[in-house]
Amino acid sequence: MSAILRGQLRMAYDSVKSSKWRSFLTMLGIIVGIVAVVTVVGIGEGVKRQIAGTLAHFGNDLIIVRPDDTGGTSPGGLGRSDVVFGMSSAVNLTNNDIELVGKAEGVRLHAPLMLIPGTLEFDEKTIISSTKVVGTGADMPQLLNQGLAYGSFWTEEDEGANYAVLGQQAAYAIFDEPVPLGKTFEFRGQSFQVRGIFEPFAKVPFSPTASFDNVVFIPYKTAIRLTSNSVTPYAILAKPTSAGKLGETIKSIRNTMAAARDGERDFSVLESRESINAGSSVIRLLSMWIFAVAVIALLMGGVGIMNIMLLIVTERMHEIGVRKAVGATSRQILNQFVLEATVLSLVGGVIGIIISTAVIGLLRLYTDLDPVISWPAIGIAAGVSIAIGIIFGSVPAIKAARKDPIEALRHE
Amino acid sequence: MPIIELQDVSKLYGFGDATTVALDSVSLSIEEGEFVAVMGPSGCGKSTLMNIIGLLDRPTHGVYNLEGRPVERLRSGQRAKVRRDTIGFVFQFFNLLPRLTVLENVALPLAYKGMSTRKRIKAATNMLERVGLLGREFYYPRHLSGGQAQCAAIARALVNSPRIIIADEPTGNLDSNSSRLVMELLSEIHKTGTTIIFVTHNPELTRYASRVVYMHDGQIVHDEQTAIGDIAKIARKAIYASPVKTEEDDLAGVSTLMKATPGGDKVEPEQKSSKKQTKAKKKARKAAKK
Repeated sequence: MSAILRGQLRMAYDSVKSSKWRSFLTMLGIIVGIVAVVTVVGIGEGVKRQIAGTLAHFGNDLIIVRPDDTGGTSPGGLGRSDVVFGMSSAVNLTNNDIELVGKAEGVRLHAPLMLIPGTLEFDEKTIISSTKVVGTGADMPQLLNQGLAYGSFWTEEDEGANYAVLGQQAAYAIFDEPVPLGKTFEFRGQSFQVRGIFEPFAKVPFSPTASFDNVVFIPYKTAIRLTSNSVTPYAILAKPTSAGKLGETIKSIRNTMAAARDGERDFSVLESRESINAGSSVIRLLSMWIFAVAVIALLMGGVGIMNIMLLIVTERMHEIGVRKAVGATSRQILNQFVLEATVLSLVGGVIGIIISTAVIGLLRLYTDLDPVISWPAIGIAAGVSIAIGIIFGSVPAIKAARKDPIEALRHE
Repeated sequence: MPIIELQDVSKLYGFGDATTVALDSVSLSIEEGEFVAVMGPSGCGKSTLMNIIGLLDRPTHGVYNLEGRPVERLRSGQRAKVRRDTIGFVFQFFNLLPRLTVLENVALPLAYKGMSTRKRIKAATNMLERVGLLGREFYYPRHLSGGQAQCAAIARALVNSPRIIIADEPTGNLDSNSSRLVMELLSEIHKTGTTIIFVTHNPELTRYASRVVYMHDGQIVHDEQTAIGDIAKIARKAIYASPVKTEEDDLAGVSTLMKATPGGDKVEPEQKSSKKQTKAKKKARKAAKK
């Protein structure tokens, strides 16, 4: 049986090769579809790896308390997953919650994140930039595993002081120098002294707004004082005493906060994994689109293959007659043409895989995405092309196999 | 027991009043080892008969026993296997696959048998040697002369050692030298005991046959045993009576052979024609009749 198969494989390959241009046009749909599939899977895989990297950086035991967004998502659907890193507007945590989280059983570290409106001034000049001011607590660098490049973070005793620690971009934006340690700037009519400069923050995939590099951090108690208690945290970060107690700690935070609200649960307490794993909805939407394109392209490719196979069957009708006359069974003819369609489709798939490696390379070079070429993606691509060959090749092959030998022989 | 036995076999095409009768209750039995020439005018049903005997076509009515087994009801897969193992085809236009080499063409029936590549190559090479094409294994059919192509086709027909060879006008597309080559080859094969049935328009070639069947309008109108080496009586008429064809016959598309055949035309068949009778004599006699 394998002898027949090998012969047929060679025939099929020859047939594809003998009319390259026609074969290429036929494969085009398959090629586009496979490129789309491999690229999407590659991007998805890349995002997963980036997220895994980010998680490893923060530690698996980071807990995020945030208000439930009751329809308060921003345009583009960035709301939910961006709570930690971006600035959600739906704030309904209270300043009391900060202490509640701190008091909850099992919490070792905790710090709020609160966005403080106001203008920054340096040297009598207003700083016009996208630099944000965020109030937070002394535990914040530990919570995010974030190191300082220069200086030091404030301690718990200094929480009411007018100190500031800057992200690197913020330092440039305000002082136009990399290490403005000891210098002061004005914010809401008060002077703040720069005590430290952060190292660059870990990049968060698909959240361009989420960079803390362009943020000025000030102690949250100072912030509350400055704004006469009018700002509230958009998130509270916490870490348990040990990673093993993550679940219990989350429960205890939940219960403590709920007790203070008479059981009302208008907040959620999540592990960082849950928070990030949802992935960016933008990329999900994009993936869905590309996937739809891929499905359509693959379908078109399949129809193209069916079309060309019908043509080939007609062209080779005489050959079919001869083969039947010398003893080929209908089954053997069927196999030959299904195989030929499959080879056509698989060659298209392989070309598609080659092109998609190029596409992925370009994406890595020119975008923030870090797509990877994964074996599963290549496997899926190969599988899909084989399946398309078999499915769309069967109709012409059945037509060839059913042909009456006499009629086929008469065909010139 | 005859190797091929047809009983009242008919083949009809079309429906209703457009029905064409290609074969009209043909009964024919051929013993193993016969070398049968089938003659007759175009459209008389020779090819249909060949196709039915070769299991390429099914009769509309009638019984067909091949090797003593009824085959008219076999399913297509089984028919393909019978064709593969029992019957070898030789066609007028060779029907070698243009994209395969000569060797691959000859090995094709073996491939469908599932034989290993090595065995196939060996068997096909042997067969090519037998037909005198050794050294041309890797030529493509387009590089062969007509005679060589037909020899390759015969090698393909023989490669499965079939009991029956069916050749539909094997020399119809060849010059006389190549025709002789091909017929000599067929008669070599016949000597090994293979049953051969061939269609021809050339009366000369009945010399090779042990039996001549003449068909007309879907029926067998003449069936004669002849000694190998002799031209059949029926065919001889065509040769010697060739001048009887007139201008009107040309217009009507009547062939010489048709006129020389019983039932083929109004021309009276010659009851006795001696070999010594010359063309000139015959001509003179015809002229006198008129």
